[in-house]
Amino acid sequence: MNLLKNLELLERLASAYALGTLRGGARRRFESIAREQAPVRAAALIWQSRLASINELQPQVQPDAVVWTRIHNLVQGEKTGAAQAAVRAQTAAESTGVAAWLRSLTLWRAATAVGALATVAAVTVSMGQRQEFGGEIARLQSQLLAAPQIEYVAVLADEKAAASMLVTFDPKAKKLTLQRVGGYEEAGDRSLQLWALPPAGGPKSLGVLGRDKLLRLTAGERDVREVPTLAISLEPKGGVPSETGPTGPVLFKGALIQKML
Amino acid sequence: MTLSSSPSGTSLVRYLFNSHLHSSSGNLFSERHARMFLHNADMNNDTHDTTDALLIALLERVAQQDDAALKVLYRQCAPKLYGLALRVVTHRDWAEDVLQEAFLSIWRSAPDYRASLSPPMAWLGLIVRSRGLDMLRRRTADRSHVTQELDETLSDTLAADAPTPMDTAQASEQAWALHQCLGRLDNKQREVVSLAYVRDLSHGELAQQLSLPLGTVKTWIRRGLEQLRLCMAHFA
Repeated sequence: MNLLKNLELLERLASAYALGTLRGGARRRFESIAREQAPVRAAALIWQSRLASINELQPQVQPDAVVWTRIHNLVQGEKTGAAQAAVRAQTAAESTGVAAWLRSLTLWRAATAVGALATVAAVTVSMGQRQEFGGEIARLQSQLLAAPQIEYVAVLADEKAAASMLVTFDPKAKKLTLQRVGGYEEAGDRSLQLWALPPAGGPKSLGVLGRDKLLRLTAGERDVREVPTLAISLEPKGGVPSETGPTGPVLFKGALIQKML
Repeated sequence: MTLSSSPSGTSLVRYLFNSHLHSSSGNLFSERHARMFLHNADMNNDTHDTTDALLIALLERVAQQDDAALKVLYRQCAPKLYGLALRVVTHRDWAEDVLQEAFLSIWRSAPDYRASLSPPMAWLGLIVRSRGLDMLRRRTADRSHVTQELDETLSDTLAADAPTPMDTAQASEQAWALHQCLGRLDNKQREVVSLAYVRDLSHGELAQQLSLPLGTVKTWIRRGLEQLRLCMAHFA
């Protein structure tokens, strides 16, 4: 059967395949054609990616607090286990190789599952462009190149782990970008001030925040590099000099990491 | 384009949709519809970009075994993902187990997200659905009828012909496009398509669970997918 000559039928089968309602012999035949013909495979992957969005459209329900406690305990257990395994691996010289091998095995297994998804998205993009927007690719690429490469990122959260501020640092442009994500609003006579907490020495002010949802500050890479933590304190309006350090309570803080690109 | 420096970048969907409008006269949408779409897209863009960037940053930290970041991620996404788990498995205690297993998977496989081209919420959603379907298979092996609890409400929804609540909060731009197209479907078609996907059900299983004739289910699904195809073509 040449599905490529009947694009409507191809779309119908691909969508039913992705939805899961194409079953039995029809499903197996579709799969075997898809394995041989890339456009058929691509149509199926596009539909899988589209329909996966149904997952994101379900109404929200607050889970019982006990669920997080259970997750937390299991994760702590794994961390302890991993730390103990690391100690054992260090003491027994020959087991180092084995531990690394085991770790890579787990990673491989997970990577296989996730790789499939990456393929879907990759094909979606390339198909979409080829089908309808061939001429625009160059323009999109130049837009991408013009976009700054963000190399540092931090999520600042309050003590209840509610995210309140997303901080990104672009070293090329020496630009710190802060996006408010929580609903926090400081009183009219107060200002939020951003601090770098270096491993040695006192906090260093990176600037005072305005009231916009999106804020930009200028900072040198030296101020940001090798700083493990950023914090935001509540200060009198206009902020305080860097030398005095924070005078008000620290509302949000979070680790600064170098983002892998 | 105030947030163009965020990692998720410019609004690709809106951009592509826009260029499509200029390149051909759409047969499904009038200009008025198109303007309405773009207007909605504008209102949604900032939220998408910020949410995606936040979740990506959190996944980066979780990948580095930062359990504080996992907690923030949980605070941020748990209601959405629990809602999905509940829709897949229909029982609260099972959905809690699914959420727990999913977050352990996220903890272990967050480094793989870097190699993924999916929006973060789509990636998280797939993990939850797949854990949910595993759970359903395990439970269905125990007993044959497993989905009464919430399905009674569901049958009422179908009978009343009321719109299904679809929630775009935290949804990626890709999901927003699907939401627009699902919104154009008849309520019953939308519900059956959505249920077939989240629970991975065949025509026969859907007919049985919803107490509908098999032919009706097949027709609704076929027409629903056909409408989605015409609508989604505009988003590429």
